[in-house]
Amino acid sequence: MLLSGVDRNRRLLTAAAGFLLAAVMGLVLIIGFRLATQIRGNVGTLQRASELETYPSVVSQQLTALRERLDTLEYTGHVHAELAASVHGFDRDFAALEREHDLDPSAMHAATALWHSYTPVLTPVLAYHGEPYSDTATNSSLSRSGRVFYAHVRRAELFAQANAAALHRQLAAVSASLQARTAAAASRLRWLLSGGVLAVLLLGLAAAYLQLARARGERAAREAQEQTRDILATVREGFFLLDADYRIGAVWSKALTHMFGRENFAGLSFEELLRDRVSPETLATATKFIKLLWGERAHENLMKSINPLGQLEVSMDNGRGGKETRYLQFDFHRVTGPKGVKHVLCAVGDITSSVLLSRELHEAQENAHSQLDMMVSMLHSDPLQIGTFLDSAAAGLKHINAILKEPARSHGEFSKKLAGLARELHAMKGEASALNLMSIAQRVHHLEDMVAELKGRSELTGNDFLPIVLKLDELLAHLRGVREMTLRLTALRDNSPSPEATLSTPALRIGSSGPEELAATLQSLARKLAQDHGKDFSLTVNGLADCPRSYLPTVKDCLIQMLRNSAVHGIEPDEVRRAGAKSAGGQVRVDFRRAGSGYELLFEDDGAGLSPETLKEAAVRKNIITAEQAAQLDNRAALALIFKPGFSTRAEVSMDAGRGTGMDVVAKAVYGLGGKIGVSTNPGRFTRFKIALPAASESAVA
Amino acid sequence: MDTAKDTSARRPVKLLIVDDSNIVRRRIERSQQFDDLEVVGTAANGIEALELARKTDPDLVTMDLTMPQMDGIECITQLVKLKPEVRILVISALSDKATAVEAMERGANGFLDKPFTDRQLNEAIAELMY
Repeated sequence: MLLSGVDRNRRLLTAAAGFLLAAVMGLVLIIGFRLATQIRGNVGTLQRASELETYPSVVSQQLTALRERLDTLEYTGHVHAELAASVHGFDRDFAALEREHDLDPSAMHAATALWHSYTPVLTPVLAYHGEPYSDTATNSSLSRSGRVFYAHVRRAELFAQANAAALHRQLAAVSASLQARTAAAASRLRWLLSGGVLAVLLLGLAAAYLQLARARGERAAREAQEQTRDILATVREGFFLLDADYRIGAVWSKALTHMFGRENFAGLSFEELLRDRVSPETLATATKFIKLLWGERAHENLMKSINPLGQLEVSMDNGRGGKETRYLQFDFHRVTGPKGVKHVLCAVGDITSSVLLSRELHEAQENAHSQLDMMVSMLHSDPLQIGTFLDSAAAGLKHINAILKEPARSHGEFSKKLAGLARELHAMKGEASALNLMSIAQRVHHLEDMVAELKGRSELTGNDFLPIVLKLDELLAHLRGVREMTLRLTALRDNSPSPEATLSTPALRIGSSGPEELAATLQSLARKLAQDHGKDFSLTVNGLADCPRSYLPTVKDCLIQMLRNSAVHGIEPDEVRRAGAKSAGGQVRVDFRRAGSGYELLFEDDGAGLSPETLKEAAVRKNIITAEQAAQLDNRAALALIFKPGFSTRAEVSMDAGRGTGMDVVAKAVYGLGGKIGVSTNPGRFTRFKIALPAASESAVA
Repeated sequence: MDTAKDTSARRPVKLLIVDDSNIVRRRIERSQQFDDLEVVGTAANGIEALELARKTDPDLVTMDLTMPQMDGIECITQLVKLKPEVRILVISALSDKATAVEAMERGANGFLDKPFTDRQLNEAIAELMY
């Protein structure tokens, strides 16, 4: 704005100087022309005057010649004619001279008077027409008229001789005055020309100065323009102006190129810019939002929170040939001029780091919450059980690591790997939920999701497992934190004056737990499952005291898994139970007892039981067996399907069921101890698992 | 606040609060810190708001969007027809930007997100009225 004002002033000045220059030049030329014309006229007059100066003596001489001819009686005709011509010429030239303005009037006046005094004497001479001589046979003499003529000539000759010098002087004075005037005019002309040249020089200097200033101004403008360009090329935000038709102006910042993957934005419409990046609805809302800025009612500062492009997720080149997700923020500002809104300035910023930061903060908050939850649940459970869980979780993670390290190439090998991972994770989740350690259970659940996602892929590489490894690290760190907390809590409890504290050292208590704790864990899990799944059932546990310590972890794993299955699949909701004329609350029983040289574990619920047909359908759906194979299975073989890896009858996945691992973990664990597992069911009445375990080595018996 | 001192000589600004929640209405009434701002009425829905606007001729209206009987959008439309000079500040917890933008299109002058701090409310009022 300022620059253009200065520019306008300078232009006006230049125009005025140019006009002045032309006027002065014109004036100089006109005056000069007039002076030159005067001088030229004077030169002509001067010539005529100097010619006139010769006449008096010429006339005088011609009169003398005429008189001499008359003396010698010679022929006078031609001399008389010459005199007449001279006098006529003098008359003519003198009259012409009299008409000139630039003569000294007094000198001219004197010359005129003098010349006019010639007239009376010259007129009789010039007027003579007769024959001056009378000729006889012997001699010639002047005739009568000749004698008169002679007298006139003589008088005129004498007059001319007397006045020639004076007339010449007068004519010379006229010439001199004329010369003086001409010289003065020439001098004026010289001055005028000098003045003109000076004025032209001055104006030329002024013009040069203005031109210089203009050049300087232009350079400044160019530099300003260059600076603007530099700013636009360097600034990290994308800037552009939108006109009333939502079109981008001629100038924009370079950052846009990277953000939108195009070079030229001039004239591009806002819609074209964002068409591929936002939904049509968002784009429409954004357009309406911008339109508000062109109106008068909306306050720019009070509409930032409703900006539909306040946080836009886009996929951008990461500069290394790949893509990455970034978050852009569009900010809109009115640009106003004297006549209202001129443009809408759009500033696009990359707010990825702040978005990620706020996410991290959110996660940290969640973590803090979950740790608090964890503390609360740990306060409500026995540190011994948590210690046992942490030990088995550590073992599980070790196992998972081993599985991850196994080399795998074929799809089959990868699938096996994934199945192994799924089993371990599922078992871990079961134990964590049993102890109400929801922050751990949720993390493991998330890992299970990742494994399930990989299972669904048709092609796998080792790299696909990397996110799982990262998540496992997180889990490991979390478990460490929990262990730390447990130690502190235990120390706290042991320092308190409680009679139990003296029974054993914390180190001994953590990492091993007895059958009583297992029963308590199961009861707690049962309550939690009942609550989570809206089921009503009670759990009865008998005889676990007989369980050898070496079997306890396996027995625990199996019971947790079966209890979950009962809660999710077995026990029916209340209304179903009432319709089936069953007791309102379900019953789940666990009986552990010695049987022969070994042991027997019975698990039974009075739920819906297992339907061989449903099991077969599920197995076919999961591609565990083909439809033809299913048709050939008898009821016994159909029931055995539940021990197959990857089997699940639940369509959707929840924290407690639907993963397709569960009973295969149980079966594997039982076989690991050299035991056997069997299932029997009565649809609508009960499901019963019978696990037979061999005798344990004596040292391990409690 | 400085603005309050500067403008104390002027005619008081008449504020009408429209929100279906009693708690929010009281919150707005108590949070505003302007000496020359006078709450001339509170309304729990659009119909009440229009009646009160006719009676009290407010300068500023804080407007909720989701209300029973007549919602904020409709109320803004009619209010602007009734009193084109009135300033309207929408105070809403709306996550749907399209509706928020529509409220502005109908003639609201500004938008304040719920939940808001006292400072945010006072700054918004200052922006609209002073």
